[in-house]
Amino acid sequence: MTDTKDTNVHFHQELEQLERKVLSMVDRAEQMVAVAVEAVTSDDTDLAGRVLEADVGIDATYAEVHQDWTSLMARNQPLGSDLRRMAVLIQLNVTFERMGDQCVNIAKIARFNAGLPRVERICEQIREMGDLVRPMIRTAIEAYVRGDVDEARRLPVMDQPVDRLNANMYKETVAVRDNPQLLEWATKMLMVSRALERIGDQAVDFGEQTVYLMTGERAEFDEDGMARTFDDQPAD
Amino acid sequence: MSNETSADRSIGDVIEANPTTATGPRIGSTEAVFEPPGVIETNEMSVYYGAFRAVADVSLAFGKNQISALIGPSGCGKSTVLRSLNRMNDLIATARTEGEVHYHGQNIYADGVDPVEVRRTIGMVFQKPNPFPKSIFDNIAWGAKINGFKGSKIEMEDLVREALESAALWDEVKDKLNESGYSLSGGQQQRLCIARAIATKPDVILMDEPCSALDPIATLRIEELMLELKEDYSIIIVTHNMQQAARVSDKTAFFNVKLNDAGMRTGRLVEYSPTDQLFTSPREKDTEDYITGRFG
Repeated sequence: MTDTKDTNVHFHQELEQLERKVLSMVDRAEQMVAVAVEAVTSDDTDLAGRVLEADVGIDATYAEVHQDWTSLMARNQPLGSDLRRMAVLIQLNVTFERMGDQCVNIAKIARFNAGLPRVERICEQIREMGDLVRPMIRTAIEAYVRGDVDEARRLPVMDQPVDRLNANMYKETVAVRDNPQLLEWATKMLMVSRALERIGDQAVDFGEQTVYLMTGERAEFDEDGMARTFDDQPAD
Repeated sequence: MSNETSADRSIGDVIEANPTTATGPRIGSTEAVFEPPGVIETNEMSVYYGAFRAVADVSLAFGKNQISALIGPSGCGKSTVLRSLNRMNDLIATARTEGEVHYHGQNIYADGVDPVEVRRTIGMVFQKPNPFPKSIFDNIAWGAKINGFKGSKIEMEDLVREALESAALWDEVKDKLNESGYSLSGGQQQRLCIARAIATKPDVILMDEPCSALDPIATLRIEELMLELKEDYSIIIVTHNMQQAARVSDKTAFFNVKLNDAGMRTGRLVEYSPTDQLFTSPREKDTEDYITGRFG
């Protein structure tokens, strides 16, 4: 009984195809972040349009994955690590679709803000947030593909400067309160900052999904990357 | 088998006198968490058919008012284990059980323990519905009578009604109690067999693949019934259907076949865990391989 063979080979092939489809959304989401940040910081409405177009593709993949996932689950009722992978994939499908939606929000602001007076310091800060968030998405997918729990635990640490920059954006916005036109622009940029901060959180969640997949433990990362299982958390 | 000084007491006496007594081993020795004493506990139990050791060194505790599932591939010994829990294997001439099986602390294999009394207290429902060739009423009444029921006619009618109600069959058969048990559908026949088992007032119900001959609707009815019955009984079920085990059981034991140096195939307990854990994050690789279909 030492050799094991896969008696469920068709299911595992379909599961692999589904996983590839879900992960195909990651590259697109990362590119959308880059393009959306460029659009909103350089007043480029054409780039903003490209983000909206890309999101149509993400939404289509999301719907396909949902259908494939439901069919696969109904036909196979997987268990063990197969069940965990299915649970993670349906969660990631939602995560990537929401990343796309956050990019759409940024792109719409790029269109709204076009032509308004701007503060370069705030634009630089938004670019910096984009430069921090995109490597988080990359780290999250590499951790997932390699099944590397330690790599996944780096994500909340990587998220800390994103959170700090987002908090600082409130101060930057308040600083222009005496100029109504700048304030309108900056208030919208505060929403951009918030969208990027959410994308960072979604990358952290991606990392938590990897930990669950590999260990079977539902965990929520602390800021320093330590995972607390839900069982450890005090009851409300 | 070891000798027991209290062997001359009946199983019923033991449970009456000391319902929480348990001297058996703690199962899942890797688990440090406290668990209440099991209603049935096996200690290093092995079962032989002649010289062939079918299952080896099983130490398990089955919880009170819980549904415990035994799963594993064909030949892993799960049905053998189940039949050893109420001495049903005694009926096979070549079968021999080593180790101990404690029922509320009493070794049921001890000298002087009456196997018929054991089987009354620890009832069994089989894979294929096997009603007696009698009326629906007599299927219940006859089993109760041969197990010592001595009540009046009215008390017997009450017993039959209660058993059929507990087995969720009363509404379907109340107007045809004198018709043959064979006139019922497969699912109804199996519920009749469950009613028959209940009528002898058991404490534990063993079920050996109780739904394998039933369609999905009848299967769901039996599963619903099991969930209702566990309020009053402890249930141990052997099933090939892992989704069924996942749906109904509180804890699941996974057995696998191991080859010894001489090439003999012997069933062994691999893992005994809360069902949710076993089917999502099993501790043992053998379990993971089996439930994901990677199995040699």
